[in-house]
Amino acid sequence: MLSSMLQVLILGLALGGVYALMASGLTLIFGVMRIVNLAHPIMIIAGAFVAYWLFRLYGVDPILAMPIAASVLFVIGVALYKLVFEKEAASAKYSEMTVLLTFAVALCADGLLGALFSNTQRVTTPAYATDAFIFGTVFIPKGQAYAGAISLLVIGALLAFLNFTRFGTAIRATTQNRAAAQLMGVNVGRVSLITFGIGIALAGAAGALVSFIFSFFPAKHWEWIAILMSLVVLGGMGKLVGAILGAFLLSVIAAFVGTYFGSTWSTMTFFLALFVILLVKPEGLLGDRQEEA
Amino acid sequence: MATGLGVSDVLKARKNYNEGLASTGRRERATWFPLVLLALLVLLPALQITGGHNYTLHLMLYAMMYAAMASSWNILGGYTGYISLGHNVFFCIGGYFSGMLLAYFGVTSLLTAPLAGLAAAVVGFAVGLITLKMRGPTFIISSIALLMVARILFDHWQFVGGSNGVTLPQMDIPAQWAKLPYYYSMMVVCALTVWASYRIKHSKFGLGLRAISQDEVKAESAGIDTRFYKVLAFAISAFFVGMAGAIWGEYITYLRPNIFLIILVAANMVLMCILGGKGTVAGPIVGAVVLIAFNELSVTFFGASEINLLITGLVMVLALKFFPAGIVGTLARKRRLPRVLDWD
Repeated sequence: MLSSMLQVLILGLALGGVYALMASGLTLIFGVMRIVNLAHPIMIIAGAFVAYWLFRLYGVDPILAMPIAASVLFVIGVALYKLVFEKEAASAKYSEMTVLLTFAVALCADGLLGALFSNTQRVTTPAYATDAFIFGTVFIPKGQAYAGAISLLVIGALLAFLNFTRFGTAIRATTQNRAAAQLMGVNVGRVSLITFGIGIALAGAAGALVSFIFSFFPAKHWEWIAILMSLVVLGGMGKLVGAILGAFLLSVIAAFVGTYFGSTWSTMTFFLALFVILLVKPEGLLGDRQEEA
Repeated sequence: MATGLGVSDVLKARKNYNEGLASTGRRERATWFPLVLLALLVLLPALQITGGHNYTLHLMLYAMMYAAMASSWNILGGYTGYISLGHNVFFCIGGYFSGMLLAYFGVTSLLTAPLAGLAAAVVGFAVGLITLKMRGPTFIISSIALLMVARILFDHWQFVGGSNGVTLPQMDIPAQWAKLPYYYSMMVVCALTVWASYRIKHSKFGLGLRAISQDEVKAESAGIDTRFYKVLAFAISAFFVGMAGAIWGEYITYLRPNIFLIILVAANMVLMCILGGKGTVAGPIVGAVVLIAFNELSVTFFGASEINLLITGLVMVLALKFFPAGIVGTLARKRRLPRVLDWD
């Protein structure tokens, strides 16, 4: 009993790392720009496709493909920001407008990926994806262990970048108070552009990892929107550490629910959690009560 | 007072003046246009006497359904300013409610549609009590989560056929006239929705809703029971969507979650309102007609539904970037709106 619970806990934690990486870009973008990016999950799937084709065509390991997926998605993110979001900053109904725009972008990307690659289930199959580490009575699938560990490394690098570099400080300043940051000489427009790119790049990186632990298809991202939102909302919108905490917490809960009630309900955990959090503590675990935009 | 004018005189004069303005507005209003439109729609099935126009009827039915749904969405999304991206949940509830009555008791959906609407409205009221506590982006996220919850529930609820759905019995009518009952029912639903949308906009209730969309805190302090207003708007907008769902379900003769609960249905409702003009009475109808015509063309040229999704998204980006007020809204702002489309 105890060992089986330990087993579920370990599986939950391993997935939690990947969820944290998936949510980190989303919360970063919300923090700096106050954009609720509904197109984030489809960008993860785009990243998964980059890894998938590199693996299928050239045999590149998905983990090695991660930087490539991140770079490709960074360019896409920057282009998207330039084309769609840059001029919206002056819009009167900014938050509503940007949500609708990201929704429309998600529709476009979903349709484009679906038209190009069809909606069949895909997964990359490096050797470790089907292997496991075994310690006595508990096991960890190698794929999930690697993905979780690498996610934590990337998040660590992101935190270091935000805390110990000049540009990272500028990003944090903009998150805290956009107007004040601008007055202190931060080029808010450039910070927004780069942050959007980094956020989408993180989605791409997560996608490369997702490609060998979940099977994916373009239309799957609608489900992930609600999942990722629940993590981000639980942690407090725009709080990176909160999102990571939320990811681990919900991932573990979902793993237990999935084991004891069936896998359908494990997905449901996230959606119901989202409702409960929004009702009980809408500002999230680490969030400060902010006025509605 | 020196002028001999009491407060009541002033109030009376002001009231007269306002009524004068209102009656001028009413006289200038092209009320004949919606009526002529309705008459044409009533007469359209006469084409079937020669036969071969089932496609035209289907297209009109489809357009009327979306006009009803978009108008209904507009009550919440346009007047009140709460964007719901999961409104097809009520479409699904309406369809399944009537569909189950048909499958188990053999009562046609055309009769049970108002009940289905009511069921959707009750669910809408209950959900609204919870989700309408949130504002702005958080409400939008919760509406997507609602859609996902509904999808999982309907996919696994064996009583309603799970993800395979159920097949409904068909009416025993010769193919030439088979579409007529549904066509006329959908027309009634559509006309009712547009009428309700008009009446709401011109009522104290509608004024309250629009105040909420402008500034909810100020609306609250002006004495509007914002919570009740919002939830009621949500329930009303669920009601008509539910009715449309009931008729659509029997019309296509089978119910399946992946017909009702796909994001494209919700996206269409939103996009039609944005295209036509959010918060105007005629906007959603114009949007529905334009978007359906456009979709029909794109399906003819490109086929695949994925391309259709891509194009829907592209149109939405372009509309949001360049016509945020929509066709009717933009024309009205430029004072170029033809009188026949001025239904506000």
